[in-house]
Amino acid sequence: MGLGAYIAVSAALFALGIVAILVRRNVLYVLMGIEMILNAANINFVAFDRFNQSASGGGGLEGRMFAIFVIILAAAEAAVALAIVLNVFHLFNSVKPSEADLLRE
Amino acid sequence: MNPYLDGLRGIQPEIVMTITALAALVFDLVLKGRESRRVGYLTLTGLALTSWFLLGQWSEAAPRTVFGMVAIDQFGNFFKLFTVAALAMVVLFVMHDHREREHGVGEYYFLLLGASLGIFFMVSTNNLLLMVLGFELLSLASYSLAGFHKGDRKSAEAAMKYVIFGGLATGIMLYGISLLYGLTGTIDLAKMGTSTGGLVTQLAQSPVPVGIAMVLILAGFAYKVSVAPFHFWTPDVYEGAPTPVTTFLAVGSKAAGFGVMLRFLGAIFLRPGVADSVAAYGDRIGLLLAILAAITMTLGNFAALRQSSLKRMLAYSSIAHAGYVLIGVSCMTEAGFSAALYYLAAYYFMNLGAFGFLLYFEGVNGNDSVDSLKGMGFKAPLISIVMVAFLVSLTGLPPTVGFYGKYLLFVEGVSQGLYWLVVVAALNSVVSLFYYLRVAKALFLSKPADREAEPAPVLTGFVTAFGVATVVLGIYITPLRAWAERSLDVLRG
Repeated sequence: MGLGAYIAVSAALFALGIVAILVRRNVLYVLMGIEMILNAANINFVAFDRFNQSASGGGGLEGRMFAIFVIILAAAEAAVALAIVLNVFHLFNSVKPSEADLLRE
Repeated sequence: MNPYLDGLRGIQPEIVMTITALAALVFDLVLKGRESRRVGYLTLTGLALTSWFLLGQWSEAAPRTVFGMVAIDQFGNFFKLFTVAALAMVVLFVMHDHREREHGVGEYYFLLLGASLGIFFMVSTNNLLLMVLGFELLSLASYSLAGFHKGDRKSAEAAMKYVIFGGLATGIMLYGISLLYGLTGTIDLAKMGTSTGGLVTQLAQSPVPVGIAMVLILAGFAYKVSVAPFHFWTPDVYEGAPTPVTTFLAVGSKAAGFGVMLRFLGAIFLRPGVADSVAAYGDRIGLLLAILAAITMTLGNFAALRQSSLKRMLAYSSIAHAGYVLIGVSCMTEAGFSAALYYLAAYYFMNLGAFGFLLYFEGVNGNDSVDSLKGMGFKAPLISIVMVAFLVSLTGLPPTVGFYGKYLLFVEGVSQGLYWLVVVAALNSVVSLFYYLRVAKALFLSKPADREAEPAPVLTGFVTAFGVATVVLGIYITPLRAWAERSLDVLRG
């Protein structure tokens, strides 16, 4: 498979993530959308790393390193986000952002 | 010298700060949550040590890189000293906030120090990986800080909105970085724009992919500094978060976002040895930023006109100020960047002071509405008079530090031919006069209030010192200006 195929998959995943964030009213789906965007970036990193290496005949592992760190970041972010959402659920009995609306003009 | 030991010596400030953060956490456990003010004193001691090591790097001649990632230079030093100074004030705010006294918790200091450590790494690297890790460390700590009052519904809601917007912005930025890595084959900013770098060949083929990557990455930075159209989280989060945290977000986090943005743009487009096609492309990005600057300041100022809460008003005002700083960034010249740094330093004094005033009157009135300030200027005269100085400076009138900051930005904007932007900014300053003056009017042009204001000598003392600095630095302008100029060593070599 060529590089184009990987980029197409990651672009589709990125677009789906954005759509999930914009369309879904439930915070958990929004968080899933964010994870999809992060994984789209990961596919790019790994694919580009592989094709850059075969183009230049070896070299750094920067892309793969980056992907590993992004996986860790995604886990850390999910942990913090879920703790915050849990707290919101306790206080508002809902995980829909539209029902937590104390802060506005 | 052993390069490893030399590297460790280079990151001494970061090491000290990490130890302070861990010590604060352990100390709080030992105290079992009682007398958390003592953890605050420990934090202040750690910050003093950190700034001592930072000042030790003040006289280092040339920028250098340790561990292949961390850049030790005056640019990073500027933002690190800025962060330490901002954090020290935030810690003092926490120690003198009536609500924090009730909560009495020491993890606060740990999270604040963690966020600052993130800032330290993100402003002092040309390596995109370390930049992202610092950015995320700051973000994750900020999310938790915004929701720190667990039982407070506003605080919880603010944290949720922050984490959603922040996660989205980080994701978009990471996707942009992955594209930029694919296009250039490196994650080292300094190698991208040179004549042998990947950007030259990519731009020769088509500017579109590079443009997409740049716009996505800048979106991530724009979220951090709350530039339109990524500013929606700002008013809600600033209002819902505890006031000391809001101060940290408005001053420390925003400056760090600009630090990352300036380093990113400077390292790719403004270094000596950058190819002509890349430099020309940088000017087009500058134009995009100029348009965003105009939109941001207009949105911020007009929304601030309608606010009844002082905290929310300051949130919109901070959006407007992000627009002003962006004028300097969009010039894409060394003078423009130095004006942006100067304005950030000015913003530190006037905004921290204004937040100190807000904190004091939240304690006195129990709420943050402008109406509740009516006539209080006669009950707490010193802090109120000083607040008028901050308001004058935020508007950008002489003889204050904010005036000279705006002057520098406008001069560089004109010399780069951005006349329309300078006109928009000047008109915006007139608009901002209305809502800033509303606070002064409430304080002094109403009947004296029949309530008494409980004195807070320490807080008032610090806020007054900031007021004096706002005026004195507006008259004696050389020190801040020289500091801003010498901090741009990254653009020279």
